[in-house]
Amino acid sequence: MASAHTQALPRPTLRRRPAFSLRRWTEREGVFSWLMVIPPALFLMALVGYPFVYGIWLSLLDRPVAKPGVFIGLDNFITALHDPVFWRVAQNTFVYTFAATALKMAGGLALALVMNQEFRFKNLIRAVMLLPFIVPTVLSTIAWMWILDPSFSVINWFLVHWGITKPGPSWLGNPGWAMFSLIMVNTWRGLPFYAITLLAGLQTISPELYEAATIDGASTFARFRYVTVPLLKPVIFIVTMFSVIFTFSDFQLVYVLTRGGPANATHLFATYAFDVAMSGGQFGLGASIALSMLPPLALLIAGMAWYMRSEKT
Amino acid sequence: MASIIRATSRRDVLKIAGVGGAGALVGARSGRAATKNLSFMHESSFIQTYDDFFKKTLVPEYAKATGITVDYQLISVGSLQTRMATAAETGNGPDMTLAFFNWPFLFDEKLADVSDIADEIGKKNGGWYDSAKEAVIVNGKWKAIPFGNVGQIMNWRSDWFEEAGIKEFPDTWDAFLEAGTKLKKAGHPFGLELGHGFGDNHGWLYPLLWSFGGREVEPDGKTIVIDSDETARAVDYCRKLFHDAILEDCLGWTDVNNNKAWMSEQISCTNNAESILWFAKKQFPDIAEVTQQSLNPQGPKGRFHILAPWSHAIYNFSPNQKESKDFLVWLMDPKQVERWYAAADSYYAPYLHAYDDAPLWHVEKRNLPYRDSLKTSHLPGWPAPVSRQSSESVAKYVVVDMFAKACTGRSTKEVIAEAKAQLQQIYKQA
Repeated sequence: MASAHTQALPRPTLRRRPAFSLRRWTEREGVFSWLMVIPPALFLMALVGYPFVYGIWLSLLDRPVAKPGVFIGLDNFITALHDPVFWRVAQNTFVYTFAATALKMAGGLALALVMNQEFRFKNLIRAVMLLPFIVPTVLSTIAWMWILDPSFSVINWFLVHWGITKPGPSWLGNPGWAMFSLIMVNTWRGLPFYAITLLAGLQTISPELYEAATIDGASTFARFRYVTVPLLKPVIFIVTMFSVIFTFSDFQLVYVLTRGGPANATHLFATYAFDVAMSGGQFGLGASIALSMLPPLALLIAGMAWYMRSEKT
Repeated sequence: MASIIRATSRRDVLKIAGVGGAGALVGARSGRAATKNLSFMHESSFIQTYDDFFKKTLVPEYAKATGITVDYQLISVGSLQTRMATAAETGNGPDMTLAFFNWPFLFDEKLADVSDIADEIGKKNGGWYDSAKEAVIVNGKWKAIPFGNVGQIMNWRSDWFEEAGIKEFPDTWDAFLEAGTKLKKAGHPFGLELGHGFGDNHGWLYPLLWSFGGREVEPDGKTIVIDSDETARAVDYCRKLFHDAILEDCLGWTDVNNNKAWMSEQISCTNNAESILWFAKKQFPDIAEVTQQSLNPQGPKGRFHILAPWSHAIYNFSPNQKESKDFLVWLMDPKQVERWYAAADSYYAPYLHAYDDAPLWHVEKRNLPYRDSLKTSHLPGWPAPVSRQSSESVAKYVVVDMFAKACTGRSTKEVIAEAKAQLQQIYKQA
């Protein structure tokens, strides 16, 4: 770097061809584009690439915490596949991801359509809508802990008060309800992301298209079906992809609310991998469980991308 | 460079290097060796007076006596294991650390051998409890200095028990079930955790298994014996207890829930450490008045408790191992440690016989069972020695979930078969 600086300084004594100029050099497209790409690429490599590759390497080792590892090939994966809890965890993760994503999609789209209308305090309400997304998950989840708490649950208070049930359901104690509750909390947290992204998509749709459709006699539903949905599809695809990835690898919610209980009914890949690696001190096995998320996720994303492409052509 | 590192702690060297570079290093060299720091990592205690006493009394006293400042690094509850692992993995961190449960075994290769000072400390304090040795001696070497046991016993509401006609706390599991059945009918169910916490579930489920004669593995650490009639009886008992006496939510509880339920008067009995009474005395004196504590009930094969040791270890990558040992010897000297124990009432039950009848046990008579529980306390996985397999079994909640699944209505045969399959997989015998 130091030499570049000294060269960049104009040297009045030399008057052959135009002196090398750092500015001109960096303005060349080939150079400039690399200059722009390298910092983020290095950043990604250091913070994402390295842990990822290290994770793959760990998963191939028998590697207890604070002890040297021994290379064992795919043994960890074979062990995980023979673990009954692993399959329970896989099933939980899929149920959790599909249910939460579907709910977020439906709710988010509805919310976006409403927000796209003209009404009073629109901007304020749009801002308020983002709250669940802004509040740190651990904090909001603690609030949910109280909402779902058997003794203090406001939901149960209403249920009992109106005479619907007595006593209210055990939201986190019953295996079925526990999964249901987690899906609800995840939906609550993820909905604004869907809504705001879809809203941005909706606003790019030209009003003229709706006008034209209306003149042609299209009903509200027909306008939604034949104008809104096709034009919104790319946005829906992106937002669903993100959501699937984040939901699939969710950790905080489960860790705060149930830590995978009751009897593994809410354990997901991320929480199970963490328990095995950190509490159990088995880094290799933990890494292999975490990495098991990769193939199904990759397939899912590839499938969605393929679907989008075939739609276009 | 080595002399500079000796002269200050590695943390200071880093700080110095970061701030001022070479100039500051020269400054450090001219500093006296008396300005040395030791770092000591601890998890925040539930008993605030305990941490305060260390910071406000012991640290200044040690600085006065030796000129060495001990940096007491408090980290939040629940994150100690991650922090210990990070330090062990990177070879960079505090000189000394607190360790829980069987962690001296998990991290043994990164911990200094402290057998020499352990002997010295033991002799000065009337000798160590055997249970303490179970927790810190790895392959014949002391890898940590045991500090105290955060025991788990039964906490119960004397007023509600009395209303149900029960004067004494039940001595057997059968009587316990009978009492629970009455109390649940009276609207005061038991609240015993069956979820994925890290203490209050193991605190009664392992003892329950043991007291019926069930074991995960034989003392050889290899032979899996979970599939036994004794285990089956324990599972059957637990299902019935859950159905007749326990609040349904306990299946989803983590360690915070029973405390909340206790202070809001939802439950009449739980299994917890002494902190529940300590907290009630501070915040809910009315509840504290009717809070009683008793040993776990006994089963056909005896009475058991969970061993929950706190110990202090020195990292073997620390450049200050000698100084850290000196500090621990000073700390565990009766002149210091007795006052530190007392700062937490008897929350940390000493593993040293010299304190068997110490004044700290007479501050609150209701805490005495915690002392008595030491004789029958063991680590999860007992009677097998601690191993990576037994640690994995705890992390995967094999025993806890075996009971929890039975409570959700699954058959005893099924849940034991699943636990057995998990253990076979963990012990690589599948």
